[in-house]
Amino acid sequence: MKKKIGKALVVGAGISGIRAALDLAEFGYGVTLIDRLPNIGGILSQLDYQFPTDHCGMCKMLPLVDRDLSSQYCLRKGLFHENIEIRLSTELASVKGEPGHFQIILRQKNNLVDSTRCIGCGECVKVCPVEIPDSFNADLSVQKAIYLPVPHAIPNSYIIDTMACTKCGECEVICPTGAIKIIEEVYKDFRILVVDDEFIVRDSLKEWLQDDGFTVDTVASGPEALDLLSKQAYQLMLTDIKMPGMNGVELLQKAKEDFPDLCVVMMTAYATVETAVEAMKIGALDYFLKPFDPDTLIPMVIRIYQDLEAAKEPPMEVGAIVFCGGTAYFDPAGSQNTFGYGVYPNVVTSLEFERILSGTGPTQGRLIRLSDGKPVQRVAWLQCVGSRDIQIDADFCSSVCCMYAIKEALLAKEKAETDLETVIFYMDMRTFGKPFQRYRDRAEKERGVRFERGRIHTVVLDETSDDLIISHIDYSGACREEVFDMVVLSIGQKPASGTTALSEMVGIPLNQWGFPQAQPFSLTLTDQEGILLGGSFSGLKDINESVIQASAAALSASRVIHTAGGGLNSDHIPDEPLLEISQAPPKIMVAVCTCGDLLPKLLDTKQLARRLETDPAVDLVVFLEQTCTVAGWENLVELVEKHKPNRILIGACLPYIYARKIKELGRRAGLNPALIDVVDIVHLAQGSRFKAETPSTDEISDINKELLATLGMGLGRLKWVNPAPVISVQIIQKALIVGGGIAGMTSALGIADHGFQVDLIEQEEVLGGNLNWLQRTIEGNSTKTLLKETILKVERHPLIQVHTCSSVVGSYGQVGRFYTTIEHKEKDALTVEHGVTILATGGTEAVTTSYGYGTDKAIVTQKELEQKLGDKTLKPNILGSVVMIQCVDSREEPRNYCSRICCAGALKHALYLKEQNPEIAVYILYRDIMTHGFTETYYTQARKAGVIFIPYDVAEKPRVTVTDGSVQVIALEPIIGQKILIDADLVVLATGIVPALSKDLTEAFGITMDQDGFFEEAEYKWRPVDSLKDGVFSCGLTHSPRNITESIATAEAASQRALRILSYEQMPAGRVVAEIRHSLCSLCEQCIDACPYGARILDLDLEKVLVNAAMCQGCGSCAAVCPNSAAVLVGFSDRQMLDVIDFALE
Amino acid sequence: MNRLGKLESEQEPETAPAPVIDSLASIRDMVSTCIQCGTCTGSCPNAFAMDLTPRQLWYNVLRGEKETIFHSKTFSLCSVCYYCTLRCPRGLPLTEAMSALKQIAAKENLAPYKKSIRFYKSFMESVCRHGRVREMELMTLYFISMKSPFLPLQFAPLGMKLMGKGKISFEIPSKGNGALKAIFRKVEELEKKEEK
Repeated sequence: MKKKIGKALVVGAGISGIRAALDLAEFGYGVTLIDRLPNIGGILSQLDYQFPTDHCGMCKMLPLVDRDLSSQYCLRKGLFHENIEIRLSTELASVKGEPGHFQIILRQKNNLVDSTRCIGCGECVKVCPVEIPDSFNADLSVQKAIYLPVPHAIPNSYIIDTMACTKCGECEVICPTGAIKIIEEVYKDFRILVVDDEFIVRDSLKEWLQDDGFTVDTVASGPEALDLLSKQAYQLMLTDIKMPGMNGVELLQKAKEDFPDLCVVMMTAYATVETAVEAMKIGALDYFLKPFDPDTLIPMVIRIYQDLEAAKEPPMEVGAIVFCGGTAYFDPAGSQNTFGYGVYPNVVTSLEFERILSGTGPTQGRLIRLSDGKPVQRVAWLQCVGSRDIQIDADFCSSVCCMYAIKEALLAKEKAETDLETVIFYMDMRTFGKPFQRYRDRAEKERGVRFERGRIHTVVLDETSDDLIISHIDYSGACREEVFDMVVLSIGQKPASGTTALSEMVGIPLNQWGFPQAQPFSLTLTDQEGILLGGSFSGLKDINESVIQASAAALSASRVIHTAGGGLNSDHIPDEPLLEISQAPPKIMVAVCTCGDLLPKLLDTKQLARRLETDPAVDLVVFLEQTCTVAGWENLVELVEKHKPNRILIGACLPYIYARKIKELGRRAGLNPALIDVVDIVHLAQGSRFKAETPSTDEISDINKELLATLGMGLGRLKWVNPAPVISVQIIQKALIVGGGIAGMTSALGIADHGFQVDLIEQEEVLGGNLNWLQRTIEGNSTKTLLKETILKVERHPLIQVHTCSSVVGSYGQVGRFYTTIEHKEKDALTVEHGVTILATGGTEAVTTSYGYGTDKAIVTQKELEQKLGDKTLKPNILGSVVMIQCVDSREEPRNYCSRICCAGALKHALYLKEQNPEIAVYILYRDIMTHGFTETYYTQARKAGVIFIPYDVAEKPRVTVTDGSVQVIALEPIIGQKILIDADLVVLATGIVPALSKDLTEAFGITMDQDGFFEEAEYKWRPVDSLKDGVFSCGLTHSPRNITESIATAEAASQRALRILSYEQMPAGRVVAEIRHSLCSLCEQCIDACPYGARILDLDLEKVLVNAAMCQGCGSCAAVCPNSAAVLVGFSDRQMLDVIDFALE
Repeated sequence: MNRLGKLESEQEPETAPAPVIDSLASIRDMVSTCIQCGTCTGSCPNAFAMDLTPRQLWYNVLRGEKETIFHSKTFSLCSVCYYCTLRCPRGLPLTEAMSALKQIAAKENLAPYKKSIRFYKSFMESVCRHGRVREMELMTLYFISMKSPFLPLQFAPLGMKLMGKGKISFEIPSKGNGALKAIFRKVEELEKKEEK
């Protein structure tokens, strides 16, 4: 077992939190992953399909390195990794200490249901009398006050909404496992003293607090309180401020003198708030305002109780903290303009619409109106609700709404029962991700989604039909009125609740809209070292970006832990020798959990045992009560230690949660965990529960049969398991990075800072790539400084070997062991060995012949403009008018992708020109301005500065003419519907980015390019910097068009992904991998073509097909195509499968 | 793209003058962050009667197209309902900008707006004299200023109707007692000072 060398805390278990936690865990750190919600998954638990694939695919994020440390199971349902401790309904209460050694205290909310006991039977729901809106379904349906937070989570424990619960106690009575405790008995020992001169206040406080189980005493004055305090210990005192005689502040002072540990909370009327604040300075913990209601008071008291309890525990020490808190979503109902949301029944938010489309949603996935059940035929999406709106202080773009609106339109078309008409009303369609433009084009041209440019202000209700009327104008100014069945508001981001408090607690600054602010050129670093930002916490991002940023944050966290010395975690478990059983016949112990007294009531256990024991491999059959409880499990372990079986089969519910327990059991019994299996009998236990009180004999015999078949199948599999230990692959702990631009250098530093050697190849004489000509970013940060500092760090790093004027001429090998030949312009070629490869060959500005480029020196590209402004060969004061044309040869076939940086680049230059010479007329001819995220504010600034923006359509592009040395641009101005002619002193073309990735290079490393020549990811969303061939990663412009900061994030992500592999000397393969029976193999090579992971090669010297066990993911494609049954999957041998089938059919 | 194609065939490309800093500058500043989303036009209750839609008007303001702006009746048709100001996602003071255009037209006494300028002037004259509008006097002053003998006839049917309902009272136009003159003078002085 690998040693854990440090600990990290990840706050927020959404997709980025999961990614960051997995990355750190795969590297070997212990991770505590917390979320304030009772479930993992964040927003994605509510979304079924993701663009641009319209699938889920979250499981693709599961570990590939030492994958048996984690359950290989639907990640949307649950995450189980050896190194990750998940704590739900938990918040970060305090942070102290320094980077590398933070002392943290966590506060866990009590949901009144013991999740270790809850078996999810649902009896409680039947008796609960309280109905509340179902938050999982965006409040579109109702649920009980005791509910499952998400229907698909595993393990899935019910929780109680403590605000809504009436504490009737019905559920507590019916719960078969005693998991529910409505009234916390522990509160009894928490004594509260209420001091107030008004009887009514004292009395109602006492009643409320006692209802929740607290012990309460009341007194009417300060002297009485002091008297009582001296007689009896109290944990908390609630005191009024204005009292006759001794006032609250005096009481506080006196009480604190004698009882410094006493918590005091001031109760105050509005008029004396200032006094209360003063009181806090002399020792009061908090104050609350009168009149108060139990809904705010009780949680506050419970929180104080929890904080006091948590403070008693020793704080947890972690090396770094990654905040992946996600965002909240804009609420149109509370806005200036509601679009009728909350009033008209068929105006829904995009999140609500996702739920309507979902099979677990309020309509079970049928696209019907909630108001009248009518099938939906016409839907409109209104974009930018809560975004790009200065009136509500939202001068930002929420980055994801355009794409999810297209996705929802496509999904809706699929789900609709009739022909569905879909219209998206947008301002700019922001399709700035690599595959997004083609996705949009497909939606528009092939699937008939209509895109209408224009911002809608008002939705009008037709009261007779509940239809919704939208009037909008097109560019000609013609007003059109359309009727829709449903209107979807594409809601944008707002900071996650509690962001301000959190930022104050840890000392990270917020930007002007309240989102955490990262440092320049970083998406993850904050002003506080060791505290990192991941995912949407610093502004909404799609999955791809969130995952990249989370990996980047994991790298920064890991760097802090590494620099601080690691080694915090001492619970390193030495590997114990396993029993030698390779020659021994199977001796199986079958342990069946009876789920309390449920199974014995239904079954003849003796007969079942007899039937199983007919198999000579079965040594013993035992029935245990509740193996899910600690006592039940100990019972099992004792039996195992006594009988010493060499294989164990457990029949219980929820096999996925046993991964860690099995490891531990294996260790104690000296068994390879592969020899212990758990089969799921939960459906039997639960199925019988829902049937009648006394099941009929037929039913009993059915259950018996099914149970026997399930256990038998498990036996069939287990009996033939090969007890040989898993194979491991030797890793050369060195990295090769091709490309010495900012991305290559960043990833080199990321790896070298963890103590691994790096060879950095750069074909030019100097490092730096595109940063050599860039001047500054739109935010005004100097790229020159960044370049200088980074080069200095790289060149001084003892573990980084820089090869300039060099290029890769060939490479062979696989993950863990590559041999690459590097050619130097003058020196001899050399071969380096390395375990992983990162391709960061960068990209360049595309060359063009469009718009008269090359015919006149007044027509330049954006890059040339930046260079000319930089070296002052072009002076803004001599320019009268400048025309910038965007999307030159881009966003149309064959280069049908958005280069993402050109709009911001044009704005940067336009603002600079206007600043240097306000008299210049600057025109930007654009298709959609792609200022995603907080760059939007520069768009506003450019408008303010007087830059004129003219949209154009691909069908009607601007024309540039050069006559007698004067350049003119003719463009159609759609607003006035006329062609306009501009005399331009300078025409600037934004030609976009093309990658510099050669075919030779991709072939050398065995990876693929996408149709535009960029690096092809293993999966766009879930594995964004990996290639399908393990051990090869990519970052920077080779990967996709990105700005400097975003490129750096991909570089950090790539190095984090590489580090997972480099950290092993011997990397264990998975338990389920393919093997080859060479005697049967005819070398037909069909398996090599079939393997999606490139794990198979034909070794010509040995004349054998070989499998790289570390790359093989056990998918079984090879076994399926092999005509000779020479390719086999360990754990799925013919014998095993036939036995399984036999039992299944019995 | 039919719409665009049609316009192209009808009109030759016209030379776009570079935006100039002039009396329009302050109005241009008001609408500088306009993103031409069209919310104003979609909201305007009078847009149907306008020759330029509000969106087109703002575009011309941004471009400094004085000619086009002051030949259109768009701003003179603004009824100051404040819908556009309320709804503009950029929070631009559009109603104020409309009024500012009206003021320029009045100050420069532009021919296309003769009628409304004189009407406003007659209105203010009446207010100045009496502290309120006397409808009869307002209309008399207006007819006199327009110097058209047929104009009163056009209004006669409406006038008769209003009189019949007692909405207009017979009052002989008079100079009033001039008590408000000082206020009007002061405002004028202040405005002049501001201009300087």
